[in-house]
Amino acid sequence: MKCALLSNVNVESIARRIERHEVHIAQGYGVWTQELADPTSGTSSFGPSSVFLVIDGAELLRGQRGLEPVLEQLDEHLAWIEQAAERSPGIKFFVSTVDVPARALLPLKEDRIERRLEQHWHAGIARASASHANIYIFDLKALVEQVGRSLLYSNKRWYLGGLRFSTAGEKLIAGELERILDAQLVARKKCLLVDLDNTLWGGIIGEDGVNGIQLSEIGEGARYRDFQLRIRELGQMGIILGIVSKNNEADAFEAFERHEHMVLGKGDFVATKINWLPKAQNIAELAQDLDIGMDSIVFIDDNPVEREAVRTALTEVTVPEFPADTSELASFFERVYKDYFFALESTEEDRKRTELYSANARRAAERTAAPSIEEFLAGLGTKIFLTRACDEDLPRAAQLTQKTNQFNLTTRRYTEQELRVLQTTPGADVFIASVADKYGDNGKVFVSIVRRQALDTAELDTFLMSCRMVGRFIEDQILDQLVKELRADGLSKLRVLFIPTRKNALARAFVERLRGGRLVAAEETGAQTWEFDIAKASPVTKPAYAELLTKPVRVAEVVS
Amino acid sequence: MKERLIATVAAALRVPTSALTLETGPGDLQAWDSLAQINVVSEIEAEFSVSIPIEQVAEIRHIRDFLGYLEQTP
Repeated sequence: MKCALLSNVNVESIARRIERHEVHIAQGYGVWTQELADPTSGTSSFGPSSVFLVIDGAELLRGQRGLEPVLEQLDEHLAWIEQAAERSPGIKFFVSTVDVPARALLPLKEDRIERRLEQHWHAGIARASASHANIYIFDLKALVEQVGRSLLYSNKRWYLGGLRFSTAGEKLIAGELERILDAQLVARKKCLLVDLDNTLWGGIIGEDGVNGIQLSEIGEGARYRDFQLRIRELGQMGIILGIVSKNNEADAFEAFERHEHMVLGKGDFVATKINWLPKAQNIAELAQDLDIGMDSIVFIDDNPVEREAVRTALTEVTVPEFPADTSELASFFERVYKDYFFALESTEEDRKRTELYSANARRAAERTAAPSIEEFLAGLGTKIFLTRACDEDLPRAAQLTQKTNQFNLTTRRYTEQELRVLQTTPGADVFIASVADKYGDNGKVFVSIVRRQALDTAELDTFLMSCRMVGRFIEDQILDQLVKELRADGLSKLRVLFIPTRKNALARAFVERLRGGRLVAAEETGAQTWEFDIAKASPVTKPAYAELLTKPVRVAEVVS
Repeated sequence: MKERLIATVAAALRVPTSALTLETGPGDLQAWDSLAQINVVSEIEAEFSVSIPIEQVAEIRHIRDFLGYLEQTP
């Protein structure tokens, strides 16, 4: 892309840093307004599609006495710019704001004319931008405010060669110019999809509840609130917002409706996929529903496994890394905006886009086929360590029974003390499992309590797993292992209890995918007891995706 | 130090390191004009966390002179 860089100081060094585009600079100092005024100038014959005016505030003041003449001169510059913009409607003019370094030595009574000069110029270019479609504001002053004058400017370079900016400053400015040029060539992304737990708020809604999640006006929870504010701003610019989260939909919606510090509302999201299906499948369906390309989607999720799953299955979807330090969430999102959603302006059409796509989503009846996830699961390098709980495991095991609501077959709560008793009770076994994968250790996430009921029968008193691990069929593989152990000890029947709650639909789904069960008891509460003949076959239908490691399991003594 | 210095100068000039020796100096390469010389000074200052006094900048004729400066600076 051809652009011209005009300035009242030497900007050749900045121009050299712009590599992806062709840059023309006005030769010689102080010729920038002449360049604009003259239709036969070098700038005009170069034929740029963008013209940048980078104006140095200190240089504006040089040789001037008093404010009035400088303001007059500024008005004159602005008139030239407007005239040029009118003469060349096909060229975009990016006019910088100015930073006028304060005079260092100044009595406190003296008027800071620098400020008035900056404001006068800003008001002028804001007016010009409002009245000319092809005049834009390049906010150089904002860059100065961001990094500070001592870093942006360099005295040495100024004295050595009339270069106002430090190398860091030049890189920053060149980067901004490139971003503006790139934005004219590359289509920005259309859609932002976000996860919920530990992304829009801290904690897990299904476990911590509406009042337990981190989200607040001030304090630690404010980092998520500020993140939500940025996301809402993006939505107001016409970017489609959507949710892709593994959760019970009712829990998530309850958080949006009832949490007093929630910034985003259900209405801000055009499309939501809140379920336990693989996220790649959900995203593919959303793209189909909205009728947008995968390459126009950005997906934000705190969980590295989910990010990798989406990157693997949907290579065109952009999946930025999530900040390790969540106090950086809002600034992380500013970068996401600049990298993927930056636009010179947002049009009325952009702002209406959200409505348009909502309608598309409603119309879309056909669903895309699910992309295969087998390869992804196999490639995670998941390792399950299943052992009988020892003393130091008990606090965590108790905590899991207390907190886990979603993948929990019986939702029986145990204290540490109760587990300690169970541990030594003949005929009862407390199992705990931790899970690791190529992204790291997820810690202890699974608990099961197996009770012997008769010589040939065992019952699953408790079978639960943190919902972070759901969707990887880890629970299936663990049950398969428990069945093998029981069978090796001569047991032939396994009873699986399922006690329904408002939140454990996941557990129901698990019980329903087991094979060969016989319903031996059904209570009015909905509680069910299924019996499986494990002498020859396993009730588990899912293949093993993980490597499962056990310590030799001592089989509990038979209750006589 | 020598390799790091040459790499820094090469990056500042946007030329391959193979184009440079300790004897290369301003004017020897087309890319090393007076403007580039200022960028070379700035990048060396940033890379080695030093401040080369403006009095010394004018005396630098070759990369070797930078090396000499860096070696005598604690």
